[in-house]
Amino acid sequence: MPYYQTWEEFARAAEKLYLTDPMKVRVVLKYRHCDGNLCIKVTDDAVCLQYKTDQAQDVKKIEKLHGKLMRLMVSKESGAMETD
Amino acid sequence: MVLLENDSFLTELTRLFQKCRTSGSVAITLKKYDGRTKPVPRKGYPENYEPADNKCLLRASDGKKKISTVVSTKEVIKFQMAYSNLLRAHMDGLKKKDKKSKGKKTKATQ
Repeated sequence: MPYYQTWEEFARAAEKLYLTDPMKVRVVLKYRHCDGNLCIKVTDDAVCLQYKTDQAQDVKKIEKLHGKLMRLMVSKESGAMETD
Repeated sequence: MVLLENDSFLTELTRLFQKCRTSGSVAITLKKYDGRTKPVPRKGYPENYEPADNKCLLRASDGKKKISTVVSTKEVIKFQMAYSNLLRAHMDGLKKKDKKSKGKKTKATQ
């Protein structure tokens, strides 16, 4: 199970994986304050993408990706992105 | 597994983060949810359920306590704002990158 070295690659792969099968993909976030690290995993039980970090600057990126995927999940699959 | 309302979920999630500050981890899972409450029927049996398309399931755990909530399109905007703030506020134990601690912004090249 590879850990991605760059956030860019991970984010792109994660979104791509989600779009192939939205119902199968799940996103797991694990935060350890005592160790000071954060790990994010996106998987469809066949492919597993992981990213690990101990940098504060990545928290915002991870939280944005998480929010983006959440919004994708609740939006109707009509292909139209409604931004209000 | 406790299924909560969005607001209660956020409150409990805050509590999970606070509890795990000295030891342990907080695991959060996000998945698209089609709203079914009954198991998928076996092959050959009619599926009487119409899958809903606009919901997602959020679960959180500290290893012992488990909580969950369902978010739908109507609640996502409000929930996501509160949720992002919560994550950013609590995930603050990570290293801050300050290689140039002298404060000189030397990005401009001559």
